[in-house]
Amino acid sequence: MTNFNWLLDGSIVGLYLLVTMVAGLMVRKYVGKVEHFLVAGREMDVYLGIASLAATEFGIVTCMYTAQNGYEKGFAGATPGILMAIAMAAVGLTGFVIKPLRDSGVMTIPELLEQRFGQRIRWAAGVVIVLGGLLNMGVFLRTGGQFLVLVAGLDVRYLEIMMTALLVGVAVYTILGGMLSVLVTDFLQFIVMSAGLILVTILILLNVGWERLVTTVETSYGAGGFNPFVNPTMGWQYVLFNLMLNTAAVLTWQTTIARVLAAKDTRTGRRVYTGTAFFFVCRFLIPGIWGIAALATLGPVANTLEAMPTYLSTAVPAGLMGILIAAMLAADMSTDSSYMLTWCSVIYNDILAPFRKKPWSERKGLFWNRTIIAIIGVFLLVYGLWYPLKGDLWTYLGVTGTIYLASISVLLIACCYWRKANNWGAGASIVVSALIPITYLVMEQVPSTAALAKSIGPYYSGIATYILSGVAMLVGSLLKPQSQVEGRPA
Amino acid sequence: MPSHWFWWAITMACVVWYSTITVYVAIKGAKDIKNMLARLDATRKEEAEN
Repeated sequence: MTNFNWLLDGSIVGLYLLVTMVAGLMVRKYVGKVEHFLVAGREMDVYLGIASLAATEFGIVTCMYTAQNGYEKGFAGATPGILMAIAMAAVGLTGFVIKPLRDSGVMTIPELLEQRFGQRIRWAAGVVIVLGGLLNMGVFLRTGGQFLVLVAGLDVRYLEIMMTALLVGVAVYTILGGMLSVLVTDFLQFIVMSAGLILVTILILLNVGWERLVTTVETSYGAGGFNPFVNPTMGWQYVLFNLMLNTAAVLTWQTTIARVLAAKDTRTGRRVYTGTAFFFVCRFLIPGIWGIAALATLGPVANTLEAMPTYLSTAVPAGLMGILIAAMLAADMSTDSSYMLTWCSVIYNDILAPFRKKPWSERKGLFWNRTIIAIIGVFLLVYGLWYPLKGDLWTYLGVTGTIYLASISVLLIACCYWRKANNWGAGASIVVSALIPITYLVMEQVPSTAALAKSIGPYYSGIATYILSGVAMLVGSLLKPQSQVEGRPA
Repeated sequence: MPSHWFWWAITMACVVWYSTITVYVAIKGAKDIKNMLARLDATRKEEAEN
């Protein structure tokens, strides 16, 4: 049983969807060039950037996993959010990597890498980014659908149809308006999403109460529920791995970087980072509190991922339920549109670059960008929604993310700050950062090595990936004969 | 002072900061959109004239 009221809550959700679609479609007339489509003509200002970045980086999948962290780890589960906020503020204040990246005037990260490492590395980096990004995004739709079905009390049979309709709607305005539609709809979605997140959190704090939340965590997890260093499932290795992972994400995650590249100048890009930094604490702590409230109210459950939506389905009253669902739809739509556009930008700008011997006309470029987004939409439907994914989802997300983040962050830092970095080092770094996580996953599945993989654990494996990826860059670059280094085209 | 003051303070900071920034960004972001579209429109007209 759920508190969802079709007339009241359904009307709120319907109104939100209508306004978003109209706004997304209205700005399509401003798209005349590929630059308008991919980076909004580089006209984005600070506050629009903050709204867009915050909306993009919070999807239903984020809400589900951060709430699960709160349910399983207590307040300590918000540690990755604090680490990400620190990394983002530090990068925004210093301009580390993002300043040279925005100053270069490129549209994607691989485009900058080509200037130092050559065309092959640009292409390989593009493939790694798109593979990691699309495989990561492939699981968003189903997880989002699970939340909506549970909260609204819908028949699970409608999950695929509902999420297909949502994706088609998002794809239509993204295909027509590109980054301009994404920015305008992100802005509306940020307001709706934030209203829902804040109101539901205040309701929980008032109804469940701070002392009960704290007592629940104390009873269930002891000191480890408040301090990640003494939590038996976390420890220093968890903190260090998440620091590396989140710093790499801040520096290289294409949807985040897209806001820096769309900013009207470098200073604006840096201000978007510093202005959004604290949001990443909220991003983990707010759903984390929802997860702790679910633990306090429901007690132990079989599926910890579904605890939070199950709890909200009866804890949130009609009226606010409509705002909550509109907020979560907003979160999911803004994430889907930005992800489709940014992976499209890498496919068009970098992977297809060798096929553009002569520059394409703006009309042809726009046609191909729109076609690529449509193809990505079809991939997401087939892979993420209609194809049942097997195995542990969290490991899957971590592995696909690390394959991309470790190598690209090393390449980008070396490209900006190490004069001796070259394509040998870049190639070695890409290979190493792909090999370690994949080897770890295979070891987990093979019975003879499963025990060894378990004793190593995902955090040590992740830390090793980042360190060895850097070592590979160092060794590979130094091993290249000096004559070849001097003769390189870049 | 409520128990576990660090997490209490950070939770309150989230609610207050997020509420404030939402209202602030809603107002300033709307202006950003208006200015962005005006600049794009001006560029479009300029290019059409040339």
